[in-house]
Amino acid sequence: MYEIKIPKFGLTMEKGHIERWLKKEGDSVKKGDSLLEVSSDKISNEITSPVSGILLKIIGLEGEEYPVGHIIGIIGEKDERYEPDKTGKEEIVKTTSPIPSKDKESVQEIGDRRAAQPVHIIKASPLAKKMAKEHGITLSQVSGSGPGGRIVKKDILLFGEQLKKDDFMVKKLSGLRKTMIDRLSRSYHQAITLTNMSEVDFTELKKHTKSMGVSITSGLILLVCRVLLSLKKFNSHFEENQLKEYTAVNIGLAVDTERGLLVPVLKNTETLAINNIQEKLKSLSAKAKENELTEEDLQGSTFTITNLGMMRTDFFTPVLNPPEVAILGVGRIVKKPCVVDEDKISIREMAYLSLSYDHRVIDGADAARFLEKLAHYIENPDLL
Amino acid sequence: MKTITFAEALGEAILEEMERDETIFTYGEDIAKQGGIFGAYSSLLGKYPDRIFDTPISEEVIYGSALGAALVGMRPVVEFHFSDFLFTGIQSITLQIEKIRYMTGGQGKLHLVLRGPDGVSNSAAAQHSESIETIFMHIPGIKIIIPSTPYDVKGLMKTALRGDDPVICFEHKSLYYLKGEIPEKEYLIPFGKADIKREGKDITVVTMSRMVHESLKAAQELEKEGISLEIIDLRTLVPWDKDLVIKSVQKTNHLIVAHETWKRAGWGAEVSSTIQEEAFDFLDAPIMRIGARNVPMPFSAVLQNFVTPDKESIIDAARQMMEGN
Repeated sequence: MYEIKIPKFGLTMEKGHIERWLKKEGDSVKKGDSLLEVSSDKISNEITSPVSGILLKIIGLEGEEYPVGHIIGIIGEKDERYEPDKTGKEEIVKTTSPIPSKDKESVQEIGDRRAAQPVHIIKASPLAKKMAKEHGITLSQVSGSGPGGRIVKKDILLFGEQLKKDDFMVKKLSGLRKTMIDRLSRSYHQAITLTNMSEVDFTELKKHTKSMGVSITSGLILLVCRVLLSLKKFNSHFEENQLKEYTAVNIGLAVDTERGLLVPVLKNTETLAINNIQEKLKSLSAKAKENELTEEDLQGSTFTITNLGMMRTDFFTPVLNPPEVAILGVGRIVKKPCVVDEDKISIREMAYLSLSYDHRVIDGADAARFLEKLAHYIENPDLL
Repeated sequence: MKTITFAEALGEAILEEMERDETIFTYGEDIAKQGGIFGAYSSLLGKYPDRIFDTPISEEVIYGSALGAALVGMRPVVEFHFSDFLFTGIQSITLQIEKIRYMTGGQGKLHLVLRGPDGVSNSAAAQHSESIETIFMHIPGIKIIIPSTPYDVKGLMKTALRGDDPVICFEHKSLYYLKGEIPEKEYLIPFGKADIKREGKDITVVTMSRMVHESLKAAQELEKEGISLEIIDLRTLVPWDKDLVIKSVQKTNHLIVAHETWKRAGWGAEVSSTIQEEAFDFLDAPIMRIGARNVPMPFSAVLQNFVTPDKESIIDAARQMMEGN
């Protein structure tokens, strides 16, 4: 018998959220088949079967969260039957098998910690469960009126009537979206976010990057990195009243994916040449598309760039990616008649940059300086 | 229709069948001269002196002789005086009567009826108050009938007297003088057909004997609170009418099983477990069992009331079950 557990995608991962099972109990699975989707607070991944056999038991429920290492399913041979361990401790020892248990004490400690975690079960009568299944109702959305909060027939009927009355469906939020809500609310409630906007001439950068065979984004990242190296305050985290300026410039790039907003990180851009940036960017975006980003790819950013230009947005007010102190929004590049030197009118490719910043640690003038410097680089890429 | 008592209906059944079948005879302690200690045979007094007679106090002989008589073709109906005294002749019943049909491959017909009073009465204490039907349900080999009305006792007893299997009939002491209507014409009630004594929509109450009447009283009171009980009287415990109970639970989604015998491992557990196995998806609440507290019956009237379930036990359980509804 093989135990499927909540995997650890990254060092900081503590819990995993089961998005959905792709196999049913009793299904036969081959080694490498996708079993289920699990998301951490950063990323969602498909878990593949390490062995061939029968999915004997699904223990972890869709929509629920479990600690890393928690057994969520059992794969076994065709004739095997899954019998849960009678003694909790035995199971605990097995659960923590990745951690070498040197002596009894350490096992005990782990056991106790585990025991202290509240077990969350949804109480529902057999009839209520059956009715919910028939009507496609998720029990976690129904509130129980029976003894001890048990969901009973009446609650399902009421919920069903409510559904008919409402012209909306309550959608269950994914683990990723819950994380986003949490992070964004924190950012919104704690930081004092202001946005400065500036119109910048991208004509030269566009030409320049084209001639080098790289994307404008790669060029922009390089220039932003340069600005961050000189205005170090922007390349920092503000946490618990501490401003931590980083020497490494790790630029997060907000990407819109089917699964929601993801922010893969280009690490140590200060050490990269433009063609390295281009390569890294390509590999990250391919991973994002294939849903193969690892937790490692998604952590450690010190500054974030978000680009909505390809979707006709000119300027906007990006929300900080905490604990970062600033984020750069890039708008649409559009051809405009512009007054250039000696009062001549010329067609230039213009775009707005929107820099949001935490006013607790960055002043308006700092932000203005940032945009001025960046604009200067963008408009004079020869300086690169 | 005519109105008669439970004891009269029982007497009618036995007399009608004795007239029809001369192999039927009946004996026991204090029945021929006294009419039974609770008046069960009062309507048989003076009838068929050669086929209705008294015996000495020896249950082993009474039950054992019934076995022999049945094997040679007679149809004995023997009274056990108090259900508690079944224990004093238990080996004849559990080792012989319940096994012979099976061990002879059905060659030995065993048409005999054991019948008598059971249940609580006023301070009859631990050895004269028991309801022990579950024991006979547990050990295969005997049919169990437990009528609750004059109509049922007559119809079921007549069926018992026409079959080829041993039958045990428990008659609750408090029911002998209960009056009820029965048809003038002959009728029989088949075994394994429960009777809905009251239709309802919220909770199915499966019960028998005296507890049928307690349940009916509880249903009347609960109706005022908007809780509607459906009372099912199983009437026969082996076989019991599983299908009707499941059908009712499919309607009400709630089940209480109420009996006078002890709650611990009482037949309510068998019914509950079966319904859980076969109608799990129709249950909207845990099944509840009502039975006596797990002690021998006390002599004290106060304690007897405390130990014995009654309509209040059903009302409490029903309220608890419908909490929040």
